[in-house]
Amino acid sequence: MSTALYIQLIDLAAGALLLTAVLVLWRRELASIIEVFALQGVALAALVGIMAVEQGSAELGAVALGVLLLRAGVLPWVLRRALAGAGATQRETKPLVNVVSSLLAAAALTLLAYAVSQPLVQLAPSAATHAIPVGMAVVLIGFFVLVTRRLALSQLVGFLLMDNGITAVGFLTTAGVGLIVELGVTLDVLLVVLVLQVLKTRMREAFGDTDLDELRELHD
Amino acid sequence: MNPVSGALLGAVIVGALSAVAGLLLPRPARSAVVGVGIAASGVAAVVAGVAAMAGQGASLALPDLLPLSGVVIGVDALGGLFLAVTGGVAVATGIYGMGYCTGGRHGHRTDGRLVQATLPLFVLAMMLVPVAASVGTFLLCWELMALTSLLLVIAEHRRRPAVASAGRWYAVMTQLGLVAILIGLLVFVSNAADGTFAALRVAGHHLSPTVAGLVFVTTLIGFGSKAGMVPLHAWLPRAHPEAPSNVSALMSAAMVNLGVYGIVRVGFDLLGGGPNWWWLLVLSLGALSAVYGILQAAIGTDLKRLLGYSTSENMGLVLIGVGAAGLFASSGDGTLAGLAMAAAMLHIVNHAAFKTLLFQSAGSVVYATGRRDLDDLGGLRVGMPRTTAAFGLGALAASALPPGAAFVSEWLLLQALIHGLPAAGISAAIVMPLAVAAVALTAGLAVATFVKAYGVGFLARPRSPEARSAVESPPSMIAGMAVAGAACIALALLPILVLPAIGAVAGGVVDSGDPVAVTAMTIRLVDVAGSLSPLMLAIALVVGLAATLAGARVFATRRAARAARLWDCGAGPLSARMEYTATSFAEPLQRVFDDVVQAEQDVDVTHHQESSYLVKAVEYRRRVPDRIERRLYDPVLAAMAGWGRAGRRLAPGSVHRYLGYGFYSVCALLILLVVTR
Amino acid sequence: MSLFGTVGIILQLLIVVALSPLLIGLMRQIRALMEGRAGPGIGQPWRDLRKLMRKQPITPRGTTEVFRFAPPLLVATCLAVAAAAPFVTTASELDPVADLFAVVALLTLGTVALALAGLDTGTAFGGMGASRETTIIALVEPTLLVAIFALSVPVGSTNLGAIVTSSLDDPGQVFSPVSLLAAVALIVVIIAETGRLPVDNPSTHLELTMVHEAMVLEYSGPDLAMVELASSMRLTVFLGLLANLFVPWGIATTGAPLVIAAAVLAFVAKVALLGACLAVGEVFLAKLRLFRVPELLAGSFVLGLLAVAASFFLA
Repeated sequence: MSTALYIQLIDLAAGALLLTAVLVLWRRELASIIEVFALQGVALAALVGIMAVEQGSAELGAVALGVLLLRAGVLPWVLRRALAGAGATQRETKPLVNVVSSLLAAAALTLLAYAVSQPLVQLAPSAATHAIPVGMAVVLIGFFVLVTRRLALSQLVGFLLMDNGITAVGFLTTAGVGLIVELGVTLDVLLVVLVLQVLKTRMREAFGDTDLDELRELHD
Repeated sequence: MNPVSGALLGAVIVGALSAVAGLLLPRPARSAVVGVGIAASGVAAVVAGVAAMAGQGASLALPDLLPLSGVVIGVDALGGLFLAVTGGVAVATGIYGMGYCTGGRHGHRTDGRLVQATLPLFVLAMMLVPVAASVGTFLLCWELMALTSLLLVIAEHRRRPAVASAGRWYAVMTQLGLVAILIGLLVFVSNAADGTFAALRVAGHHLSPTVAGLVFVTTLIGFGSKAGMVPLHAWLPRAHPEAPSNVSALMSAAMVNLGVYGIVRVGFDLLGGGPNWWWLLVLSLGALSAVYGILQAAIGTDLKRLLGYSTSENMGLVLIGVGAAGLFASSGDGTLAGLAMAAAMLHIVNHAAFKTLLFQSAGSVVYATGRRDLDDLGGLRVGMPRTTAAFGLGALAASALPPGAAFVSEWLLLQALIHGLPAAGISAAIVMPLAVAAVALTAGLAVATFVKAYGVGFLARPRSPEARSAVESPPSMIAGMAVAGAACIALALLPILVLPAIGAVAGGVVDSGDPVAVTAMTIRLVDVAGSLSPLMLAIALVVGLAATLAGARVFATRRAARAARLWDCGAGPLSARMEYTATSFAEPLQRVFDDVVQAEQDVDVTHHQESSYLVKAVEYRRRVPDRIERRLYDPVLAAMAGWGRAGRRLAPGSVHRYLGYGFYSVCALLILLVVTR
Repeated sequence: MSLFGTVGIILQLLIVVALSPLLIGLMRQIRALMEGRAGPGIGQPWRDLRKLMRKQPITPRGTTEVFRFAPPLLVATCLAVAAAAPFVTTASELDPVADLFAVVALLTLGTVALALAGLDTGTAFGGMGASRETTIIALVEPTLLVAIFALSVPVGSTNLGAIVTSSLDDPGQVFSPVSLLAAVALIVVIIAETGRLPVDNPSTHLELTMVHEAMVLEYSGPDLAMVELASSMRLTVFLGLLANLFVPWGIATTGAPLVIAAAVLAFVAKVALLGACLAVGEVFLAKLRLFRVPELLAGSFVLGLLAVAASFFLA
């Protein structure tokens, strides 16, 4: 594909990544948060796919397919099942930081990500590496979500956002992450999600709620 | 494969096999096989060390065995000396441990799988530290040594709660020492090409004085703590009594030497000598250790704790020698530097021999009676004649009296100090007399300590039922003591066996010629006037003794000797309660040094119910705390506890707060990164 | 083995063994005369030794070989030092033993043997004497070694023969501040090591004031004779060292018989004079309390330290 098209497509995918991350911050209902997360998975897979087509690498194409399956298919399905099992209204009613401040914080974090990633970009300027700051921003926004949301499920989504961002940065910086490495990382993430889901269920049974802010016994 | 590498490889293999045997064999055979294995490994190490001191080196590099720098082994003369010393101590304690680990009549079995498997590993680690030739290998072996010794120290923790506390102190102080060494060596490596000692040696000449000073001081802190240098000695009098006696012997006679090895290696070899203040620091810390250590030993009544403090004292003397050597070297007097270093190294060898013997006999006493306190012992000559003889030999050697072993090394040290006066300027004019005074006070107090330990602990009448019923130890323990005793006698009478080699090593370390010329009869100093003949002295004593006995036989009456009562003022037979105890023996010394010692005394007087003028019972309790611990350690520990309590406020329990800490610190670091680009 | 050296050794041994009890006798006689008594005569210590040798040996029950062998060992150390030190000649065959550090260490070995014997008896007296004696030894060591240091600086060696020869070659050295300070320090050391007033009273019968006497309380007969002989020999040896280190004139450097005879006479005269001065001083002194002794020893330590400092700054 031509260079101009390639650059445009990469930027499109990166923009979609960032937009979905910000949407996670904006939306309140857990169901819509999970849908947005699935969309982000599609965007990530598209990013990898575009790079695969550009480099003509079948291996990278297979990885893109795997990412699509996992991050846009399996993980959102697991999260939806957890949500269904939760029952009643699951709205993130009062995040620790209100929505307006969260969005402003997201903007600040994006700027920070751009500032920090400059040396990385300048090491090897190309279309792909220009999108690295987006990946960094997704990581920081994911961390922010992890810190400021009360319900366990939204914290889980924040953690998964971080992982998406890290994967994006990984693909953008290197020529291609090895299949085995990606597989290993993916399996780790899956395991974490499953474990956290079980934990969440136990927490609900024990305390009736998964509002983490109510649990304050973890001290001396 | 030259003798050095072959013997070293043999030592490693035998040691590893012994560890495996200790893990797998059933109880009856376990301690015997492990003991023999340790002894064999020790013999191989002695062979390797002696060959290395004779000039044959060996080196080996295995870059893939460890990450980052790989394993680099290099045996030179300096490392060979410490390797040989460790091997010798291993031989004696290996044989000794065969009998000791099976436990005496009063319990104390230490032949569990873990202990028996760890013992050979400890000995192996101590052998590998002097031959490590890169920072990574060195730190790995150092840490292995620390961990295995910790496991051995807490071997009896189920039986006595004091052992757990001792283990905690030991663990914390060892790790803090490791951190200090790590910082020093890493600063050094960051200024060199890579982590091997060869590269460090090259870089050492070009370091700025500040960096070199920082490296020296941090490594001095870490290595000095391992050597029992005051004020970082607090672990020594806690860990040595609580460990099993063969482990105490290994720790005192082989492990603390490696602290001195580290200081000599970093200060002289890698950094290539340094300014005067380094060596003045080493010398003054050595003098402080020597005097404080022997003072605490003179006042104490626990036999093994006394021996532990004596180790601190002897290492202090060694550090005085090292410091003097550095002072002389930096002022250009190579021969005197070589003499001081040779004195220090000979003292290390002598100390290894007599400290092993002393700890082995103390362990024999514990094995037979289950008691460590001198005030509960006594009268052991009757039931344990060989142990008494062994302790007497060790005490003679330790008190620096002729014809003992330590007398030769202290003589060499004094000669080095007194000849240093014209050479090194005003600082030497003040320091040398004070150093001589410190060595002299140490020698005097050592005499008092060992007279007390031997006289109160072994002679006269038994003060407790266990002491009365003591029997001699099994033959393997006696054999181990015999090995150490033979070494003490050989070192005392025939210094030609070790002194030429030690002189060559010392000369090599300070880059000068051989400082002593030794014949079978005499030690003669090179370039300065002085000579001593320990053998002739011993012969003169023996001849004098024979002449006196002959004269007594000739001139005295021929009547047979009659047994009679001891003078008891006519009040009836003397009981064991009327004997002088160790506490009472040391009381004049405690009074004289009261400002330093500051013992705590409690007197409880119980009166009769009928009248408060009549006394029913008086109870006297005296405790001698370690004053440096009180002044230095307690405030530090209290401050840390205070910080911990203050830090508790940072942890209210909210998970979000904890996550937030992580997030905010990451963001702050990123901002810092951007701003300071 | 030269004839000169061998003759020297034999002569020194004979003199020390034969004449040291007479030194004690001389000192006691002078004290007696000054105190207005008639005195027993100079030969009384020899008569005492002869009486003791004829008594039946007694072994206290419960003591070990340490108790039995301490007196011979004590005498042996004194004999070794008497043979090695330069009293009559400077060329002793035992020259490598004649190192000042070795000599004082040998004499300390004798004291240690006696202290162990005291502890071996298991009586409170023995323990008390041993405890006090080892305390005094411990506190005397720094002064002793620093004084030796001061003596060795002008010579560059601690070999007794070398120090004596250097004093012979350079008589003005004797009156230097270094020598005088070191001499005063050594006098205090000798008083402490030999157990004379004011550190210890050798003729006391009160247990609470005993140091040396308490250790040897259980000895009798030939053993006591050996102990008494040894203590007189120690005093002779110490005074002889003091004399020849600071006032060495008269010592024989060549082997001519006349010179040797003169050296013998000079040695006897010097030691007798020093003993007489000591005896006169003792008449006017009382025994110090045990816990005042460290103050005395600390004072002598300061003098020794000043001697070393002077040897550096005035060199």
